[in-house]
Amino acid sequence: MSSNEMRDSIDGVQQALAERSYLADRGLATTVHLALKLGKPVLLEGEAGVGKTELAKVVADALGARLIRLQCYEGIDVAHALYDWAYARQMLYIRTLEATGDARQGEEVLDELFGPRFLERRPLLDAIACDDEIPPVLLIDEIDRADDEFEAFLLELLSDFQVTIPEIGTITAERRPVVFLTSNRTRELHEALKRRCLYTWVELPDLEREIAIVRARVPTAPERLAAQAAAFVHELRTLDLTKQPGIAETIDWTQALLALGQEELEAGVVDLTLGSVLKFHEDIGRVRDADLQQLVEQARTAADAQTPAG
Amino acid sequence: MNAGDAVVRKLVTFGRILREAGVEVGPGRIQDALRALDEIDLRRRDEVYAALACTLIARRDDLEIFDRAFRAWFEKDPTRLGGKAPELGIGIDERPQPPAAAPRPGDSEDPDEQDDQQEEPDVLAAYSADERLRERDFSTLTRTELLRLRALMVRLVRVLPTRPSRRLELAPNGFQIAPRETLRRAMRREGEPVERAFRRKKRVERRVVFLCDVSGSMEPYSRALVLFLQAAVSAGRKVEAFTFGTRLTRLTPYLGGYDPEASLQRASRAVPDWAGGTRIGDAFKAFNDLYGRRGLTRGSVVVIVSDGWERGDVSQLALEMARLRRRCHSIIWVNPLKGTEGYEPLAAGMATALPYVDVFLPGHNLLALESLAEALRASGSRRARLRPATLWSAA
Repeated sequence: MSSNEMRDSIDGVQQALAERSYLADRGLATTVHLALKLGKPVLLEGEAGVGKTELAKVVADALGARLIRLQCYEGIDVAHALYDWAYARQMLYIRTLEATGDARQGEEVLDELFGPRFLERRPLLDAIACDDEIPPVLLIDEIDRADDEFEAFLLELLSDFQVTIPEIGTITAERRPVVFLTSNRTRELHEALKRRCLYTWVELPDLEREIAIVRARVPTAPERLAAQAAAFVHELRTLDLTKQPGIAETIDWTQALLALGQEELEAGVVDLTLGSVLKFHEDIGRVRDADLQQLVEQARTAADAQTPAG
Repeated sequence: MNAGDAVVRKLVTFGRILREAGVEVGPGRIQDALRALDEIDLRRRDEVYAALACTLIARRDDLEIFDRAFRAWFEKDPTRLGGKAPELGIGIDERPQPPAAAPRPGDSEDPDEQDDQQEEPDVLAAYSADERLRERDFSTLTRTELLRLRALMVRLVRVLPTRPSRRLELAPNGFQIAPRETLRRAMRREGEPVERAFRRKKRVERRVVFLCDVSGSMEPYSRALVLFLQAAVSAGRKVEAFTFGTRLTRLTPYLGGYDPEASLQRASRAVPDWAGGTRIGDAFKAFNDLYGRRGLTRGSVVVIVSDGWERGDVSQLALEMARLRRRCHSIIWVNPLKGTEGYEPLAAGMATALPYVDVFLPGHNLLALESLAEALRASGSRRARLRPATLWSAA
């Protein structure tokens, strides 16, 4: 699948993602298609581990574009996100000029000091100033962790795709990058930022789709094992847990079971590997209290219903 | 009328329905939706649905409303909505209306209104009434007095806690060299860094999460507290407000805006369980599951306003307090009953929760709320863990 077909239709998007082991439903594929067509950023919200970040990576791969990732955190600022000057190198350069007795004019030296050579590009500037043939995919991860002010700053950036560096001037993106923002909803994002984005809530998949995802991601796993692992995680999600396991956990766990040479789910091994699925001490305790053997049985039955070959 | 017009008309009407149901849909969004519809196959339901959802909706809570509206409007599914569009607002709001006890400023049928009018001259005359109000128990205040209280509370809001930010600011007594500024100053002295600039951690606001009990026993106090919260939220401070009785309600979105009366009205309509019973354990569990887990409480000061009357299971309360404690910076518990003489935390819920509480305060009048403001300010810098025993006797 060439990147052109990916750009042309929703089917193309769905197929290109599937080829890279990302099974998107029609709704998500439509959103990606619209993002490519309308040139709008996509805001992905959803529980941890449903594949928000992964989507951006896979889309970048499918487009043959470079992925530029900005991980947000509390207190992130322009020097970390956009650009900074390489102070140490500037200082050294000045000293070198002095030592070699360079006779150039001050103005000239200054221009050089505050020119592209000493500019350290951070992800956002990188995405805008990128001169690749194919525009890059910019992933702004966990935007809800950054401060409000940073959001306001992004707002400006996402509407014009240009930045102004006082010493150099304004840099405008020649081709707009494809932008994905992800949020875990630790706080509500500003309305103004949301308005510029296509909003998508990424759901946990149903059993059938999750089995398909596990099989696509862990192709070496036996079909029964993949189905049973997915079914077991689905059983877990019905329990009252502190943190529900996401798809990422199901995949991790299947890999763990595979590494232990399991062909099928057994209560003993489940007990040993529970730590790959559940990340809270209380949750592990709760699942052990609930009858593990019975949960495994239920998962097997559910898995058999999904795989008619049995 | 051509086909394009029909789509536009239908979409605009759909936008209006969503607005009536309480979803913010501006003209910009409609425009985006139209552009999106151009790019997809209009005969495919799932594509139309996704295209409209991602352009018209901006938060998860609105998706359910969208889903119903979509079914009703585009698919004419009468089972979902009773057929008529205007009913949408009612159909979606399945929560019971709040009882009349909730504060309803501007409602002329309010029996309080007559009282207020009789008291008007008194209130107008007394500038020093502030002093008197400060010590009046909230449970004996009329509505007008409550509104005057708000003005006082606005002053209190200015002292919320801070935490060190990751960002740095220039400061003569900073701990770290500031290269950008040092270099700039060096330029003035022929490149010699004679004058060094320093920077230090900037301080930013620490988030404060309020959990207010609105059960029957707490109602008058919580009413006053909602005024305080409204003042805090509308001042744009990092404050999150929740109420709990039999269920948990997030109040923050209703409290913003410039008009305090309107926002109080919105808030009281949003709280379904004014003056009901209390199940503190359940409410805290809901809070921990829904908001605590997402990190809302991380690093924030949690203020619980409740008399600690637990009608549910006390062991659950202990469990949830422990979870809450692990996730936040500190917990302040404000108990209005603590203001009454000879009070001891005998209510089972209160006794259970106390070991997890950093600061235990009275909250029955404005003077007591001032002590809350003081505790909040102090709590910003470090964990001031006080022995509960010393606090009991201080009451």
